[in-house]
Amino acid sequence: MKWTISGSSNLDETLALLAKDRQVYAPESLENGTYRMTRADTWQPGLHTLGEYRQTEPLKALFFPAREFIGRWGDTGDREPMPERIVFGVKNCDLSSLAIFDHVFLHGVDKDTYYAEARDKTILVSTDCSSPLDVCFCPAVGEQPHARQGFDINIAETPNGYVIESGSERGKELLESAGQLLEPASDDLLETLEQQRSSRYAELVEQGNTHGLSPGMDLRAAVEGAFESGLWADFAEDCVECGACNFICCTCHCFLLADGVDADGKAARTKVWDACLYSGFAAVAGGGNARPLRAERFRNRFDKKFSYFPQVMDRYACDGCGRCTEACIANIDIRDVLRRAVDVSDTLHARSSDHRAD
Amino acid sequence: MYPTLYMPVPATIERIEDETPDIKTFTIRPAEPIPFAAGQFVELAVPGIGEAPFTPSSSPQITDFMEITIMRTGRVTDYLHTMKVGDEVGVRGPMGRAYPMEAFQGREILVVGGGCGVGPLRSLLLEVIQDLKSYPRVIVRYGAKTPDSIVFRDAQTHGWGQDGAMDVMLTVDEASEGWDGHVGLITEILEEDYLDCHAEDGVAVMCGPPIMMTSGTEKLLARGYKPENIYLSMEKNMSCGIGQCGHCRMGVYYCCKDGPVFTYDEIQHDPRVWDD
Repeated sequence: MKWTISGSSNLDETLALLAKDRQVYAPESLENGTYRMTRADTWQPGLHTLGEYRQTEPLKALFFPAREFIGRWGDTGDREPMPERIVFGVKNCDLSSLAIFDHVFLHGVDKDTYYAEARDKTILVSTDCSSPLDVCFCPAVGEQPHARQGFDINIAETPNGYVIESGSERGKELLESAGQLLEPASDDLLETLEQQRSSRYAELVEQGNTHGLSPGMDLRAAVEGAFESGLWADFAEDCVECGACNFICCTCHCFLLADGVDADGKAARTKVWDACLYSGFAAVAGGGNARPLRAERFRNRFDKKFSYFPQVMDRYACDGCGRCTEACIANIDIRDVLRRAVDVSDTLHARSSDHRAD
Repeated sequence: MYPTLYMPVPATIERIEDETPDIKTFTIRPAEPIPFAAGQFVELAVPGIGEAPFTPSSSPQITDFMEITIMRTGRVTDYLHTMKVGDEVGVRGPMGRAYPMEAFQGREILVVGGGCGVGPLRSLLLEVIQDLKSYPRVIVRYGAKTPDSIVFRDAQTHGWGQDGAMDVMLTVDEASEGWDGHVGLITEILEEDYLDCHAEDGVAVMCGPPIMMTSGTEKLLARGYKPENIYLSMEKNMSCGIGQCGHCRMGVYYCCKDGPVFTYDEIQHDPRVWDD
């Protein structure tokens, strides 16, 4: 069932009701044209919006914080339970990225109970992108600027009204609880939404084309095919290994367990984001390092996203959010790297085919 | 409850044995038993300092304590070497894939070790010794830099070879006075002159420094061992130990959860396999 907001109600009233008794995270529009996730105890009309495009910080930070206190040595007490939360304005790139974290933290050898609790207690309300950024390229990695799955509730804005639907059992229940503010969406409204989604997708495909990327390109074959080429060293020339692309990435999940001493002098452990661009990332005791060269570390980031994850999860660990491009101090554009990989791989492949023909 | 996957079980150092000038064996008693299988590893933590991966060197059949043989070679191990009996450490694990003991049954086993890499192999050998009749022959070939740097020297020179239980031969890169054993690289004593083996159906198990793993594997292949019968204990930066933190990835594998024991045929096509 798809809903719209009834004529006697409005968006703020609806969102306020959905957010009742939950900690609220929602995009706040900043003067510089970006959004940030702002927390409040209730939906804040005028401050909170649903956002036209994704906020600057990746959604992962709400589930896999940049620094997470794990525990004090020998302390087996319970952590304060996490509050019930609701996140509004989640864009599909971020929403889709959570599948990577679920794979890593829920479905592996062992389950991260903090992550599991954060997922359990967080209602995700996604929203269609209405105005993608110049750096966005989600169609090239098999995504689109609206959510298809993974949300509890999706809210799409059209000129003729909002279309609201649930994507989970708890989302359905929550919408039912707000039923007095909703009415069934008309076929005309749904048709308007479909057309809007098609044209926005087409626009993003067109934007990707100007960078030489199009939906369905085999980026795994490109990165694997270019693995031994000089392409990585070329880009690594400019890279300053600041790790911004790792940290800002909506799918990068690597971390280290940092041991130290807290203010009371007790040994404690913290889980901290780590970056594979850092020279010590693959270093072992005794001086060995699997990736001593910056070019190898730069390549590793692409290898992980476009070769490793397709092999273990049948998807790229990239949702085309373009944050790495925005964050790169050396102006390295991930689309340029991928396009070059496609070209290099094609060239090498053609050469080896010629060779075989001889 | 704090997520136990990231927090160690407290443990006490019960005994410290000097093996060589820079290698010690620590006997650790965890607050609760941590049963492991030979080849699996644990994360040994020093409170407030850090933790690092080690494969126990003691028998897997002993569960109330474990021995871990540690070379002083980095921040955590430097600190460990300053610790005393009674000091507190922590253990997470066991982690990863062990030696497939069932697959070894009834077959000749060649154990090749170098330097401190004999730790995990000792754990394996202590398991094998319990059931020696299940294996037609057990061969040990071990290399160290000097006679002083031979780890488990008594067992290697006397215990394991006693009464022909196992065919043990040692070599050192550089001899010193009183050494009457072989002098040369480990790969030399894998040559036909020093190693009579059934390579076509035997299994070879190797653990040692990276250079030995590379050259040793080449030698074993040249001797006729099949890639699927060569078991390698790989070393990467295993940090979380459960395939989450990303540090020890090697191609499509994580060394921590898919290894640390790999057969050569599993990893031979990855160009990065020998990167250390």
